[in-house]
Amino acid sequence: MVDQHHLRQFLIYVFVLLIPCFAVWTIASGPLAIPAIGFVNSILTQWFPDTVNALYASGAKAVLMTEFGEKDGNLIPLASAEYRLGFEVNTRIISYSLPFYTTLHFATQKTEYLSSYLWGLLILYPLIVFGLLCLCLRELMVNLGQTFLTQPGVFVPNANVIGILYQFCVLIVPTLAPAILWLWQSRQSPLLRSALAKS
Amino acid sequence: MGRFVTIFVVVLLTLFTLEMLVPVQEHVIVPFTAMLAQLSAALILPFDSSVVAYGKVLQFVDSGFAVSIEAGCNGVEATIVLIAAIVAYPASWRARLVAILLGFVAIQLMNLLRIISLFYLGNWNTDVFTWIHLYLWPALIMLDVLIVFVVYLRYLSGGQATPETVRG
Repeated sequence: MVDQHHLRQFLIYVFVLLIPCFAVWTIASGPLAIPAIGFVNSILTQWFPDTVNALYASGAKAVLMTEFGEKDGNLIPLASAEYRLGFEVNTRIISYSLPFYTTLHFATQKTEYLSSYLWGLLILYPLIVFGLLCLCLRELMVNLGQTFLTQPGVFVPNANVIGILYQFCVLIVPTLAPAILWLWQSRQSPLLRSALAKS
Repeated sequence: MGRFVTIFVVVLLTLFTLEMLVPVQEHVIVPFTAMLAQLSAALILPFDSSVVAYGKVLQFVDSGFAVSIEAGCNGVEATIVLIAAIVAYPASWRARLVAILLGFVAIQLMNLLRIISLFYLGNWNTDVFTWIHLYLWPALIMLDVLIVFVVYLRYLSGGQATPETVRG
């Protein structure tokens, strides 16, 4: 009965905190993504110097600029193009792990909140960086096709690997990572202690 | 704990990779997704004559707004996460199978609610639809998985409350 009280209390706090946390994140998601975009920009421009020009922030989106132009749906060299080909990447589809984790963390009865929360953010942020890298690889693969996949002298992951990594980073990691982190950090909470006692 | 994490990761990656395979998509995921669309339509149509359904598409006759239920909107990934967690946690296979079955039902009920709510939200405001579709509902579905798993753990532990939980 007392355990049910903890579960009920947790659920009430989750539903109270969920919308405010997501609302704050919606406003802050642009600035929050800037370090990740900067880091992925460094990786991509060094990894694919002949393909990627830059990745920069535009609100909550990242814009991935290539070293190509486009005419009538075909890739053409930049020198003969009127504009540089670029693609928008929505950073929110990977960074919503942050408000979800925040909600779970602060909805749970604990003795200490702040330092474990900061540790949680430190763990989640590299996953966002990796997710953004996978999103960009997928954009390059889908939009540039063989021009991207068969660059001489450059290691490019297999198309299937990029596809699976993309699906994994978009469909699973943003919700699973906060959930696992919460389970681990809350294992001593009244909500989980008795449930995990068996293990 | 190490054993749990190892089995969880192995089962998760195996099932997720299996789900991505073309034959699995063709013969399992796509028909299952189409069945979900039909089920959603069957739940809506008796109450709302302004809705038509064809294949995996639900559409409002008056506004023309339509949603197509695609792979990724079917709760399969959430089910995979739940299966991985249940398989990784030590328990009898009977308990595991019952938990997977009940968990699957809980996830799919939530997913039907998700599909129907998104359909009506989209007809009202596409920005709200996009926000809730991409960010809020995936979190709620994973919350559903978490709750099912926590309830399962409590069932396994026999509902024993520690002295600390009684005080809390």
